[in-house]
Amino acid sequence: MSRSLLVCVLLLPATLNGQPQGRGAGRGGPPPTARSAAAFDMTGYWVSVVTEDWRWRMFPNKGDYGGVPINAEARKIADAWDPAKDEAAGEQCKAYGAPNIMRIPGRLHITWQDDQTLKVDTDAGKQTRLFHFASTPASGADMQGISKAEWELVRPGLGFAIAGDRGGSPGGSLKVTTTNLRPGYLRQNGIPYSNNVKLTEYYDLVKQPNGDTYLVLTSTVEDPTYLSQPLITAVHFKKQADAAGWNPSACAVR
Amino acid sequence: MRTITFAIALPVLVGLLCSASFLGQNPAPGAANGNPLGPMVSGVDLSGSYRWLNHQDAGLFTAAGDIADWGGMPLNDAARLYGLSWSASRQTVKQQQCMGYVPPYTWMSPGNHRIWEERDPFTQRLVAIHYWGQIAQVDRTIYMDGRPHPPAYAPHTFPGFSTGKFEGNILTVTTTHIKRGWFRANGVPQSDAATVTEHLIRHGDTVTVFAVVDDPVYLTEPLSKTSLLARQAIAPDAWLYACDDSEQILGRKNDYVPSHLFGQNPYFREYADKNKVPLLGSFGGRETMYPEFFAAVKDTAAAEAAAKAKMSPAGPPQASRAPDPTPNDGNIHVFHVAGNVYMLAGDGANIALQVGPQGAIVVDTGAGKLSEKIIAEIAKLSSKPIQFIVNTSFHADHVGGNKKLQAAGADPSLTGSFFSNQFADAGQGATVIGQQNVQTRMQDQKMDTPPSDTYFEDRRRKFHNEESVEIFPMVAAITDGDSIVHFRRSDVIVAGDIFTTTEYPFIDVKNGGTLQGEIRALNFILDRTVYAHDEDGGTLIIPGHGRVTNEWEVAEYRDMLVIIRDRVQAMIKNGATLNQIKAARLTADFDPRFGRTTGPWTTDMFVEAVYTSLMKR
Repeated sequence: MSRSLLVCVLLLPATLNGQPQGRGAGRGGPPPTARSAAAFDMTGYWVSVVTEDWRWRMFPNKGDYGGVPINAEARKIADAWDPAKDEAAGEQCKAYGAPNIMRIPGRLHITWQDDQTLKVDTDAGKQTRLFHFASTPASGADMQGISKAEWELVRPGLGFAIAGDRGGSPGGSLKVTTTNLRPGYLRQNGIPYSNNVKLTEYYDLVKQPNGDTYLVLTSTVEDPTYLSQPLITAVHFKKQADAAGWNPSACAVR
Repeated sequence: MRTITFAIALPVLVGLLCSASFLGQNPAPGAANGNPLGPMVSGVDLSGSYRWLNHQDAGLFTAAGDIADWGGMPLNDAARLYGLSWSASRQTVKQQQCMGYVPPYTWMSPGNHRIWEERDPFTQRLVAIHYWGQIAQVDRTIYMDGRPHPPAYAPHTFPGFSTGKFEGNILTVTTTHIKRGWFRANGVPQSDAATVTEHLIRHGDTVTVFAVVDDPVYLTEPLSKTSLLARQAIAPDAWLYACDDSEQILGRKNDYVPSHLFGQNPYFREYADKNKVPLLGSFGGRETMYPEFFAAVKDTAAAEAAAKAKMSPAGPPQASRAPDPTPNDGNIHVFHVAGNVYMLAGDGANIALQVGPQGAIVVDTGAGKLSEKIIAEIAKLSSKPIQFIVNTSFHADHVGGNKKLQAAGADPSLTGSFFSNQFADAGQGATVIGQQNVQTRMQDQKMDTPPSDTYFEDRRRKFHNEESVEIFPMVAAITDGDSIVHFRRSDVIVAGDIFTTTEYPFIDVKNGGTLQGEIRALNFILDRTVYAHDEDGGTLIIPGHGRVTNEWEVAEYRDMLVIIRDRVQAMIKNGATLNQIKAARLTADFDPRFGRTTGPWTTDMFVEAVYTSLMKR
């Protein structure tokens, strides 16, 4: 190994750590905000394109658990699910928690609540999710839990592979990890998740040659109480020019 | 002071030493800028073995799915009718048994998937990303070196032709030249005019494939959809999936293709009833993709009636929405098909050319508008005079260049032969060969340079340019004088207008054409073809018009004609008139691919030819 290459190998981690991790990092200035460091602009109105799991998302039926790796305990609970009881108990929103809300057909309105918090409003069930890039609230345990967000940015190419960083053009993903959730349903047919659930989401922006823009969401639900393995699914949304079709509606059990 | 200088200088030095330019790996200018290697690309590494993640769309993996489970798909009326007419028994038809998988459907196959990179050994530039899918043994290459896609008249394959580029952490792949395949293998077709854009996104050991299909033939808007792959820590051993077609039902005729007449699929509502979804939703359509669909099915009776109305053709006749692959730019385009055989496109019907040390055989001569250019292109491939011209038909777009191309075969070095006084063209130009009725009809219509070397019912054979060449008369197909030509070593069949990829067959009833003869001729071709793998490759076909294919497209064409024949026959049996048959739009599911509402050969004219053929029987 030549001396110059040896120097590179030994000292490269230091230079990597010294690189700005996103846009907006000025020399000697304050650290970039989540908004300024964003890999892409998620704000605006988005509509669900229901081409995955169509039957389960549009017309869920009791007892139809296809694809969900539930364990025996979860099946027992789902088999006993009684929507009337949920209604009577005022629990109409149990399927509108973070692990399922993005799969319910509807529209999203995404805005920056502040420079470090991305806000996602849904018209289906009138829910609000907050993605915290800085400090997260200490309390939670509601249907949307506590979501910690971070941009996973692609770094500029270095010319050779180091720990999976292979370069490429600018871009990246939004990673959101949600915990502290109240128990709810993975589908609108009573498949349960527990308060041990952890939701990990990746949001990616895709632009088509014809100008269509899509938000692709890949989700992993881990719930040792009711799932025999992590549930991994994806959905996508199409960017709208405006709020057309925005139709806030209350949670519904059926 | 010295320490401070060193502290500043060292990171700078390291940065410089480690920079891409120092290491000689600066991104190179693209091929368009003169770099023959194309752009230097890198990006997320997708290499590895994967399995399909079935946590979503369970039950909809390849070769599965209930009839009319089409909710969330922006199908147009033709696609829906195609699906409702489709019978699962069609898979017993020989050519359907080993049908390949097309993107993006292939991502949902339940077997193992492998992705790996091909890099130039000297520069380590990424040349291509390869994909192997166990089910149907899908062998796919995604070129990363900036090469262009092939011309429109090049063959299609099931994997198609793919090019890719990295966009941030996403590999974006554009695929064209895909054969007709499935959106879902429960009857809804993805046409051969589809363009597929796939975005492969890796997060840890999960790859999300977000695909957008733009199909002008069968979709009203692009179909966007995700599929998921899970990376496997240990590479699996199962990678093969042998498929050979075979006889499924002994004694069945080769013009039998199972299908349901419009409105008579007995299984059309099984899925909807079993899963308690509205029939209207199960039939798919753009509206089923969006939240507003809930409102559309609130009135259950109205929704049911709307669904039933979608089971038969409605609305005005549709013209083809598939782009015509024929170059009409005033130039002749030459495409190497296989072995010694080329296709020349751009002047009417396609021209086939076989070259070799004995001089060229030319099959058909085009419309005669660009004959000089054709001769010039032939001269680039064959320095000797044209030896033989074969006419597959007497139609003007096949024989228009006979006179000039025949003259281009003049060979002053020849001293004549025993037959010199018996054939007017011997030694004075290329010998024009054709079925006797081609000569008769051309003479009757005083067309230039009819064949002088003719045959009736038996094949004409030659061993030319070190290749066996067979010319087969096809009785009463498009006309009463059609022929096909098989170059056996190159394994290329020139079909003439018996097979085209651009329109319904121009069955010229007045000049002896019949639907039955056309179906027989297509089956004759299919009896001579062999595919290389799962209906891809093998024997190649040069159609009268359109792009080069192999047997798959010929079989699809045959199946279509048989299905249409059966529909027309059923209406004739019930006493329908020609006008009633035309009004029933019995070709509605194929019209966006082959239909014409104007021009010399409309869908109505084709239906009339079918009707007339069947009434004469």
